[in-house]
Amino acid sequence: MTTDEATKSEGEVQAAALAERGEDITPSKDRGVLKIIKRPGSEDESPMIGDKVYVHYKGKLANGKKFDSSRDRNEPFIFSLGKGQVIKAWDIGVATMKKGEICYLLCKPEYAYGSAGSAPKIPSNATLFFEASNAGELVELLDFKGEDLFEDGGIIRRIKRKGEGYSNPNEGATVEIHLEGFCGGHRFDCKDVKFVVGEGEDHDIPIGIDKALEKMQRGEHCILYLSPRYGFGEAGKPKFGIQGNAELVYEVTLKSFEKAKESWEMDTKEKLEQAAVVKEKGTMYFKEGKYLQAVIQYGKIVSWLEMEYGLSEKESKASESFLLAAFLNLAMCYLKLREYAKAVECCDKALGLDQDNEKGLYRRGEARLLMNEFELAKCDFQKVLEVNPQNKAAKSQISVCQKKTKEHNERDRRIYANMFTKFAERDAKEAASKTGVGKPAEKAACEKGPKAPGAEGEEAEGHV
Amino acid sequence: MAVEELQAIIQRCQILEEADFKGEDFNLFQVAGQKCLEDGYAAQLLEVIQNEKNKVIIKNMGWNLISPLVRCIFMYKEDDDKREHCLRILDQLAQLCNPKELFLGLLEQIEQTSGEQVCQTVMLLLQPLQTVLLKLQNKKAYSVGLSLAMIMNQLTPLPVPYTKQQIQEDKLGLCQCCNAVVDFAKPFVNEVVKNMEKSSEYNDMELKEELIKFCMKSLKYPLLTAQLEQLEGIEEHPFRQFATEIIDILWNMGELIPLMFVHHKGKSPLWEDQEFADMERKNSADSLACLSYLIFVQHFGVKCFPVVFSPSYLLLCNMTHIEVLLKRTEESVLSKGLDLFESCLLRMEDNSLLHHYLEFRDFINVPQDLVKIMTLCPMEHMRKKSLNILQLFIDKFDTEGKYTLFRCLLKTSNHAGVEGYIIKNIKDQIHLASTEYDNIWFTGHHLISLLDLVLSLPEGAETDLLQNSDRIMASLNLLRYLVIKDCESDYQTGVWTTLGKIEQNFLKPLRVGLNMSKAHYEAEIKNKKENRKEAQSSNTVCSLTVSGEKMMPMTTGMQLQVLHSALFTFDLIESVLARVEELIEVKTKAVMDEN
Repeated sequence: MTTDEATKSEGEVQAAALAERGEDITPSKDRGVLKIIKRPGSEDESPMIGDKVYVHYKGKLANGKKFDSSRDRNEPFIFSLGKGQVIKAWDIGVATMKKGEICYLLCKPEYAYGSAGSAPKIPSNATLFFEASNAGELVELLDFKGEDLFEDGGIIRRIKRKGEGYSNPNEGATVEIHLEGFCGGHRFDCKDVKFVVGEGEDHDIPIGIDKALEKMQRGEHCILYLSPRYGFGEAGKPKFGIQGNAELVYEVTLKSFEKAKESWEMDTKEKLEQAAVVKEKGTMYFKEGKYLQAVIQYGKIVSWLEMEYGLSEKESKASESFLLAAFLNLAMCYLKLREYAKAVECCDKALGLDQDNEKGLYRRGEARLLMNEFELAKCDFQKVLEVNPQNKAAKSQISVCQKKTKEHNERDRRIYANMFTKFAERDAKEAASKTGVGKPAEKAACEKGPKAPGAEGEEAEGHV
Repeated sequence: MAVEELQAIIQRCQILEEADFKGEDFNLFQVAGQKCLEDGYAAQLLEVIQNEKNKVIIKNMGWNLISPLVRCIFMYKEDDDKREHCLRILDQLAQLCNPKELFLGLLEQIEQTSGEQVCQTVMLLLQPLQTVLLKLQNKKAYSVGLSLAMIMNQLTPLPVPYTKQQIQEDKLGLCQCCNAVVDFAKPFVNEVVKNMEKSSEYNDMELKEELIKFCMKSLKYPLLTAQLEQLEGIEEHPFRQFATEIIDILWNMGELIPLMFVHHKGKSPLWEDQEFADMERKNSADSLACLSYLIFVQHFGVKCFPVVFSPSYLLLCNMTHIEVLLKRTEESVLSKGLDLFESCLLRMEDNSLLHHYLEFRDFINVPQDLVKIMTLCPMEHMRKKSLNILQLFIDKFDTEGKYTLFRCLLKTSNHAGVEGYIIKNIKDQIHLASTEYDNIWFTGHHLISLLDLVLSLPEGAETDLLQNSDRIMASLNLLRYLVIKDCESDYQTGVWTTLGKIEQNFLKPLRVGLNMSKAHYEAEIKNKKENRKEAQSSNTVCSLTVSGEKMMPMTTGMQLQVLHSALFTFDLIESVLARVEELIEVKTKAVMDEN
């Protein structure tokens, strides 16, 4: 008798016992996954879908041959439950386990690797058997914990009922949800609501829910633990009687959603039609002072049309005019949001489409002025005047630029004056080269943020 | 002469205290030692070094001899006694010299070598370098990391042997050298593993990080570009051996699984800065892709790999790697990407991949990369393979997934051949749908919307029919199939309700286009024939360059041949078109008669 044969017969015995006495735990009751509990769990709680679970296990084929064991790796195996990361038998089986439980599982090929097998260890149509090793464990559920959605502890999710598929609402998707909000055990909100992801604030829904929705599936019912950052923040929410920096718990059901279409799913005609719609929406938000929301809307136009090729002449005219408007409005939004580098970037793109655009030049001038790039700002305003000599605002901006430049120069002079006295002992040549280096470095420091490659070229033209 | 000079300086130094050695002494020692070596007195020099009385002198000054010593060793032949003496000197120096200085001396030698001597030099110095590093007290982890990085940097410019012959010949010694470097690293790996069992001290983390960096670097070069298939007739394939060792190192240090699956990784304490971590990730993309290839295609390290992951999840995890590899153009890298993709797909059952996976960006990008390979790659076997894999990918999706994928590919491929191929697939799916009851994607209104995309000419009657002939033929075949098939199955496909639109967007412009194209080509042929007589002189109209080489100018005869073959294509299209129209007419008439 070889040991091989010995383990083989042992494996057969256990498999036979499982097949005979095992509990069928498949939802469809097709005996595809059978389970016997060897040692009941220490606690009554089972892991929920999406939980990070820690297990030890040992797997054998029907012939008794071991194909895998977490003990050989000296560490528990970790996975997210119910997400299709592991074979079906496991998503079903481990979900039934309690913390500390040890059990046997018999898995038919349909719930494991099927006819394809898994090269090189699992042959085609193999029944898998997860069973006790000598040490006495087979599938042992060691621990589990809620899913940390953004790996920052800000949103913890525990799924009560799994949704269908892998598709999540994207930004801009329309969702229908039921939600209940709790704070310190007290329920402060309960409603059915339909809204667009990214615009939850309109319905007194904190940003954490918008973020979490982008990771939920249709039909999903989950509990979300929000830190204040993802909740109502420092300000709290007086309407609900919620103080600043409060931890919130939400129970959310995603009833349905309609995704915003991906760019490649739309043809040019559709894109142009939708562009008109979102432009309108963006303008509405802008007027209400909701600049972040406006940015989302205008951003859609850019993502749809910026890279669209093969347009007819008429279409490309329409597309250009949408893009120009989108860039100009984005620039305005970013000015309001004090993101000046982005404003400059948008103006650059707008001017790429229409190099003498008065608004584009003016807004870039404003943004540069606010970034302390007075000379460049002045150039922009001067160009505005070339395009439209009647623009009074530009005229007054030029004088602001000159004033600021003067102030700035004076401050520079004071700083450099100190520097010169410091370097007085050193020879003049070295001092001169120092100031030479100092200035561009300082300028670079002002030009924070990314910049379109085209920008440099245009600036150069501006100087000429 | 040289030996006497050396003896003189040695005698002078023997009476000095260690601290009293002057810079001048060092110089004299180096010059005299170098002269001994150059004049062939290696045996005498060895004697001096082995002399117990000179221990202190050698400890302090010996490292100066490394540079001339290495030069001499390469001068002598393999079986020269003098070479043997030099090697023993090197060995003695490693034992006797101050580790810190000798370490720098050795590293400097490795840094200075280049070209064909790189591998030789590295292999020569690995042993002493290891001896010295094991003796180092301070900054050991840093020094080990520096050595490995320096060695790998020196090797990286060397071409990686690819064919069996090149591997066997190993002209520059790279194969041998790589395996020597692993042996060099082993004691340090063992140290890390041993300490892991005890407790984790900070210093160990550092050494471990250095070794991981070395493994990552090795995966990128030479492994990513190396031929890693088993080769007949080579039992110990050097790169397969190297790969096994590298994976063993990662496995022994407990880093293999965390590298493969991001979700296993806690936040790395070393890269607290998110931006830095992202950069690191980007840098390691090639290495991780190669690692995946080794595990999933070549089954290295599979003994320890968990066998409970679902095939779709493995595909999902590998998609990023596949994308990285397919973006490259080198055969060695590209073929690894195709193999990895294929192996992931072969693990899956047909129709088992849920359409939701198309929500992941990679699942849309990768098939588009495949299309690029099958249309642009100069290597035919790669083009064929990528076409096979595309079909495999399509097969794995559920019905809705196939539907979405077809839509996406029709819109993005910009290649009539590929579009024709997709249209053929659509036809197969429609056929399949007619035998199933619950297929809503290739029947009814979903199908109609897909047909809108298929049965149209991109630029109406002006479409270049020759360029688009593959697509047009496939579309006509599909339409013919629908018209014949739907008589039997009661308008299941819904093609009859949309006939007006098809006529308007497809058949009518196609007829117009055919007439125009035929007229144009016939006129052209007539022109050519007339011109042929008058302009026998070969004034070529245009020249054609293919991959940098200028093609022979086309003779009028060849031009005529091309024009005729174009006409032939138009005839072919026309005949199928006529058949389709005929079928439609018969069917419409039958319906009218019934009414």
